[in-house]
Amino acid sequence: MNAIPIVTAVDLRRRFGEGEAAVDALDGVSLELPQGAFTAVMGPSGSGKSTLMHILAGLDQPTSGSVVVDGVELANLDDKKLTQLRRDKIGFIFQSFNLLPVLTAEENIVLPLRIAGAKVDREWLETLIETVGLGARRTHHPSELSGGQQQRVAVARALISKPAVVFADEPTGNLDSQSSAEVLGLLRRSVDELGQTVVMVTHDAHAAAVADRILVLADGQIVHDGDAGSADDVLDLMRTVA
Amino acid sequence: MVALSLRGLVSRKLRTALTALAIVLGVGFVAGTYMLTDSMNKAFDNVFATATEKIDVTVTPKEQFDNAGTVAMSSEVLRRVQAVPGVEEAVGSISSSGGGDDSAVIYTKDGSEPLVRGGAPMLVVNDPSERLSPLDYVEGHAPRAPDEAALTKGTADKGGFAIGDTVRISGDGPAEAFRVVGIAKFGEEDTLAGSALAVLQTEVVQRLLDMRGEYTSIDAVAEGGVTPEQLSRRVAAELPAQLYNVRTGEQEARRQAADLQDQLGFLRTFLLAFAGVALFVGAFLIVNTYSITVAQRMREFALLRMIGASRRQVLRAVLGEALVVGLAASVVGLLFGMVIAPALRGLFTLFDAELPSEGLIVETRTIVVSLLIGTVVTVVAAVGPALRATRVPPIAALQDVASMTRGKTARWRTPVAVVIALIGVAMMCGGLFGGGSAGQAAGLIGGGGAIVFVGVGLLASHLVRPLALLVGLPLERLRGVSGRLARENATRQPRRTASTSAALMIGVALVAFIAIFAAGLKASVDDAVDRGVAADLVVQTETFQPVPSSAARALAEVPGVETVSPLRFASGKVPGQSGTLSIAGVDPATAADVIQVDWVEGDQGLLRTFGGSQVALSDRYADEHDLSVGSTFAVGTPTGREVRLEVVGIYDDNAGLLGNMTLSNELLARDFDATRDAVVLATTAAGESPDAVQSVADETISAAYPTVEVLTKQGFKDEQAGQIDQLLGLVYVLLSLSVIVSLFGIVNTLVLSIHERTRELGMLRAIGTSRAQVRRIVRYESVITALIGAVLGVVLGAIFAVLVTIPLQDEGFTTSIPVVTLIVLLVLAVIAGVIAAILPARRAAKLDVLRALAYE
Repeated sequence: MNAIPIVTAVDLRRRFGEGEAAVDALDGVSLELPQGAFTAVMGPSGSGKSTLMHILAGLDQPTSGSVVVDGVELANLDDKKLTQLRRDKIGFIFQSFNLLPVLTAEENIVLPLRIAGAKVDREWLETLIETVGLGARRTHHPSELSGGQQQRVAVARALISKPAVVFADEPTGNLDSQSSAEVLGLLRRSVDELGQTVVMVTHDAHAAAVADRILVLADGQIVHDGDAGSADDVLDLMRTVA
Repeated sequence: MVALSLRGLVSRKLRTALTALAIVLGVGFVAGTYMLTDSMNKAFDNVFATATEKIDVTVTPKEQFDNAGTVAMSSEVLRRVQAVPGVEEAVGSISSSGGGDDSAVIYTKDGSEPLVRGGAPMLVVNDPSERLSPLDYVEGHAPRAPDEAALTKGTADKGGFAIGDTVRISGDGPAEAFRVVGIAKFGEEDTLAGSALAVLQTEVVQRLLDMRGEYTSIDAVAEGGVTPEQLSRRVAAELPAQLYNVRTGEQEARRQAADLQDQLGFLRTFLLAFAGVALFVGAFLIVNTYSITVAQRMREFALLRMIGASRRQVLRAVLGEALVVGLAASVVGLLFGMVIAPALRGLFTLFDAELPSEGLIVETRTIVVSLLIGTVVTVVAAVGPALRATRVPPIAALQDVASMTRGKTARWRTPVAVVIALIGVAMMCGGLFGGGSAGQAAGLIGGGGAIVFVGVGLLASHLVRPLALLVGLPLERLRGVSGRLARENATRQPRRTASTSAALMIGVALVAFIAIFAAGLKASVDDAVDRGVAADLVVQTETFQPVPSSAARALAEVPGVETVSPLRFASGKVPGQSGTLSIAGVDPATAADVIQVDWVEGDQGLLRTFGGSQVALSDRYADEHDLSVGSTFAVGTPTGREVRLEVVGIYDDNAGLLGNMTLSNELLARDFDATRDAVVLATTAAGESPDAVQSVADETISAAYPTVEVLTKQGFKDEQAGQIDQLLGLVYVLLSLSVIVSLFGIVNTLVLSIHERTRELGMLRAIGTSRAQVRRIVRYESVITALIGAVLGVVLGAIFAVLVTIPLQDEGFTTSIPVVTLIVLLVLAVIAGVIAAILPARRAAKLDVLRALAYE
């Protein structure tokens, strides 16, 4: 495993609300995600896994603690800089695909580049389209694609700008098992073949088993950090920590 | 269900506020119009009552036919009235007219320009009897010497005059100086209905107006024991009934009030038409807002239906909301009318038309009409969307919302829209070519236009995609992905975009129509002047009053001026024919040098020997009445006489300068009471530059006659164009309210659409779209929507203008398309789109990314 950390978090705390109603979604989380690692973040509902991902991705601000993404300290960034960071260094995959219905598959894929005003690397685009297996459907609109196909478009969109890290939030949450396997396979290949760093938040033990490393959160703290084994191992793990 | 309606209102504050605002503006306009015209009415009623308060019987000349004008009465009539038994006192009153032949000018303190322009008149009157006088001198006294004048308090205040100051006044001659010796109130009022009013001695008024020994009315008081009615009958018995009206003071006040009602009625209708357009546009906005709201709330309605609400209850919930909004907005609109009324008055003042008014009269009728119209428009506009809400099946509560938004109405929508548009066009054509009365024609054209708007508004959903492509492609080229997304968003719901832009289309179409019509009018005037006027110089007054004959004589003395030739205008009536004839008078000795007549029969030489009972006819009049050279016919004159005329020539009056027929000035003066020159034309000597002569002449003449202007031909055209532009400006301002209402519609639609696209916007922000880019996407969508409306409006306006001017082309109307104005209109639409987007764009950019993504 490569030693260069792409994402570093130190003692993250995130409190929602005030006074007696206050909830600590994150209660002192520190971690390092090295380049080229596929990390699954697991934990029961309310464990703080989504909050952790939002903070790592610059979508939310921690109450205290620091996050460095690809050498950039997020705490000092204003909204404009954070937006640029997300645009240039981070890729997103959402549970509900979140494609623009008005654009075709290919247009959705290159959307981040067009927003950045950057030139599209045609070769890279073709490689991605081929990899995600959408060659025949590149001019289709999302409404003409199945859920699995839509999520594959979303994966390609997350990879098009060659980001430092891809965050995937329950990417298989809305998919059947076959489509899930396809999408997970794509993420795995991006790590193995392209050296992509991927962080995936998931409930699904089968999904988590595809990762290299599993972090388990409970009540805002990391309760397990170790190599992923088989899905059964993960299920056992979840039983013990949760 | 009522509670639900109210809850709905509160939870959708912004869209409710914007919907309400559209009604507030429209109703405010309606209420303001009524308040203004009622106040004016009140002001005049007071004046008429004051003016006739002390008079028992008044004798006025009878107008011989419509628009004939009246002829002054001689002292002989006064003597006859004085001799009637039972008359204690009878006096001759003389007053200049508010405009036209026997009018006068009161100048500002420095004497350089008229004290009042347009609208309210300037009046010069005598005050022959203290006993009958409506004037109360609050300072000084009535004029007792030929060089003394009294002013009403309002006039003195307006011009800054005090006792001892000099005031200049002119009639048919140069301005003369008078010393202010009195300041008077007109009953309770500071002046007579906003006018400027000066009192001079009787003989002085008569001399100024060139009406020596003549009076405009004769007022009498009865002896004790004689009622006004009895006296009125006795006086009437003494005077020829076809020449004079004899009325009691009360009858006279009532008649004047009734005459005024007609004129105010025109103003009221004029303003209400604009208010109606604003409300019509508001109705578009409401239909659209409720359609979107209902679509977004389908799941809610389905849930209501599932837990047992009947269709009727759903209908009531939606209409109840509309009723509350409509009524509340109408109440606010009514109050807003109190702001609009003085604003309208201020607007007219700005455009040189002062409207007198008295306080702010709020009649019960104003309240009822305003509340009713605002509420009805809102509720009626909500009926369609409300019915759609009732059609949602209960099961939809469990289904995806997106699958239900497609209406079943789509199939018959297009043919119905086409039929509606065609009915509108047919009505317009009926109005234009059907030959009904002017009122019917205006109603058909206006109503037809409104129906066309509805039809095109319905059809516009088909045009949204191509138009968005047309106006959106340049944006996409220039601004990349923001432009692309804006265009896609604009075309995502074509019906929504269509009805949003259709609201703007209405305002733009009317502006374009008026602009094209006005451009045609200007081109026609230019054309008429070019074709009909051979003179180099045109002399007229800036106050639409006659040119004093002494001014014309002074012009002839200016070096470089060769021929000076006056033109007069009068009206006549052929017994048995309906309508009034427009008659031009020319000076035979000089006319051929200054006007170019397009002869059908006869030639320019004819003008030189023109005279006696000879008449030249327009070919149209000759054709219509089967007259040819050699025919003779009789014409009734404003003085009540009948003259026999012999046709000696026939001309094509495409230039519109000479009217139905042309006579000699001599004949007009003798039998038509037309003694003053409307316009004086002059040629310059060969080798002289008309511009140089004009500037010398204008300077010379203006020194003695401040309102008289000497213009070159081009200057005259510019002046005419300026007058058209002034009216155009007024109409633009009145139409702008409708455009503002339609902008609210764009704001509303954008806000609602953004609300629907919360998740998308969240995703866009998450993957790195900046706030500025989000704002841009919304702004461009707004601009595209506005441009679609503007393009449709300009096209529709052009079609209307061409259609409406077809019947006028026979009368020499030249169609002209003001390309620059229309382009400016499109640019303004872009700016309007940007402005409308400010609020929605800010909302979209402020979106909390996490919450947007979590929103399901």
